[in-house]
Amino acid sequence: MDSNRIIELLARKMANEATPRELEELDELVAIYPDSLHYEEVLKEIWSDSGEEKPSHNLHINRLFEQHKLKFSEEFEPAAPEEEMPSIWYKKYVGVFAIACSLFLICLAALFQLNRKAVDFDTEIVSGKGMRKKITLPDGTLVWLNAGSKLSYDSDLNKKERRLVYLVGEAFFDVAHEQNRPFIVRTNKISIKVLGTAFNVKAYELDQVSEATLLRGSIELSVNNKSQQKILLKPSEKFALTENRTAKDEKTLLQDSGDLTLKIENIAPVRIAGQDYIEETSWKDDVLVFKNESFEELKPKLERWFNVQIEIAGNVPKSYRFTGIFKNEDIKEALTAMQLIKPFHFKLKADDVIIY
Amino acid sequence: MSKHSPDLNSLISHIALYDSQSSYEQLFKGLFPSLYRFSYCLLKSRELSEEVASDVMITLWKNRKKLTEVENIRVYAFVIARNLSLNLLNKHARQELVSIDEIQVEVTLDALNPEQLLINGELKKKLERATQSLPGKCQLVFKLIKEDGLSYKETAAILNISVKTVDAHLVTAVKKLTAILKMELNLM
Repeated sequence: MDSNRIIELLARKMANEATPRELEELDELVAIYPDSLHYEEVLKEIWSDSGEEKPSHNLHINRLFEQHKLKFSEEFEPAAPEEEMPSIWYKKYVGVFAIACSLFLICLAALFQLNRKAVDFDTEIVSGKGMRKKITLPDGTLVWLNAGSKLSYDSDLNKKERRLVYLVGEAFFDVAHEQNRPFIVRTNKISIKVLGTAFNVKAYELDQVSEATLLRGSIELSVNNKSQQKILLKPSEKFALTENRTAKDEKTLLQDSGDLTLKIENIAPVRIAGQDYIEETSWKDDVLVFKNESFEELKPKLERWFNVQIEIAGNVPKSYRFTGIFKNEDIKEALTAMQLIKPFHFKLKADDVIIY
Repeated sequence: MSKHSPDLNSLISHIALYDSQSSYEQLFKGLFPSLYRFSYCLLKSRELSEEVASDVMITLWKNRKKLTEVENIRVYAFVIARNLSLNLLNKHARQELVSIDEIQVEVTLDALNPEQLLINGELKKKLERATQSLPGKCQLVFKLIKEDGLSYKETAAILNISVKTVDAHLVTAVKKLTAILKMELNLM
């Protein structure tokens, strides 16, 4: 409808986001519906009230600034005068020493960590890139291990008070129910405690996102460095923990605040060719499902699925989005199919793929 | 637009290069009110919002040497404010996870000038009520664009949504307002 269009255009105009073309269109429409001038007038009044500084407001902000300076007074000390040569040398020396010390500590910690893991678990199952494995744990729990993943546990899992496994990568668990012995999946970022359920955990080392998707039963989840905070998931819910790593790397300013985002959402099946697929778990049935994903999002998935290295040239539009499923296709067939959706080229060389 | 201080970049480079405290004061006065208002939307507490806005500012100051690398300082500051606020909320909420979608937001039109012709007391109340009935994120979008003069792109980055969604939210908000006007003013 025209009136809807007018409102849409007005909103954009107020936000300074209307293109010249849209402004023209708005003028034409206003000419046809002069009443809409009222809308614009009122919107202008609503908009114009903001951002104007008033004297009283100024006073207030001055006081706030003084408080702020007082609170962080140590940050505003006048800069120390330039020091003389020797002390600068001394400073440098301290720096080097500190670095050496911390390196040493890191090495120690790493060694300790390695040792600890080796002691903690005696069994390790690795699923290489391009393959998927299905295993049964000593307690009867079924585990599907996705490509490029590793599961560690103790062979005497069944004799312990709690069943603990350690996962790097992605796995689907169908846990054998045991009332008194919780089953615990630990990953680098999150830990999940269950009694008997089916759920999927995705925690690849290189991915920014750690995910847990619950199909049935219930699970209790905690983020490792905030173990007092428990999160309960209901069936068909997905928990995602995002580390805002890129933001941090690019701008390296924030150290501690807000580098983690937690999210719970409902999973929705993807409908392709008249069949519903659950993106999060269908990999265990040898189906790779993706929905509205960019090349960047797909790259790690395809790399793991097909065991290839993918390089995406800069000229490939970032806006390309793909939805689809792969079952038995090899990488060449898969990419050829994707070319039907969006135009791009690719080159295959052994295990290297270049998309351009 | 008056809402954007044109010299934000020169302020930043003064702060980064010369540790200029007077530039920092100007930056503080330019950003603090917006950050405070934004945090207040999320936290509904004067003290906590002041604290968040103040912490954002000191973060900028502490990291001043690297500020010139930041592409958009306003977006950067708002994102820190968003994260600090959500952290606070999550700390208080203990069990449940609070996400930005669930937060009740308040938009007021109280800064209207008395000389304004079209919006009088009764209509103003109705318009406010109308904006308050919008979903939280929609209100946040409306607020950021209207009160802080942010662009679609900036708003999208701050709220972690797409530019398209920002547009849709703003159109929804404006639709709601015009629907009120339509009734009140007997328009088409």
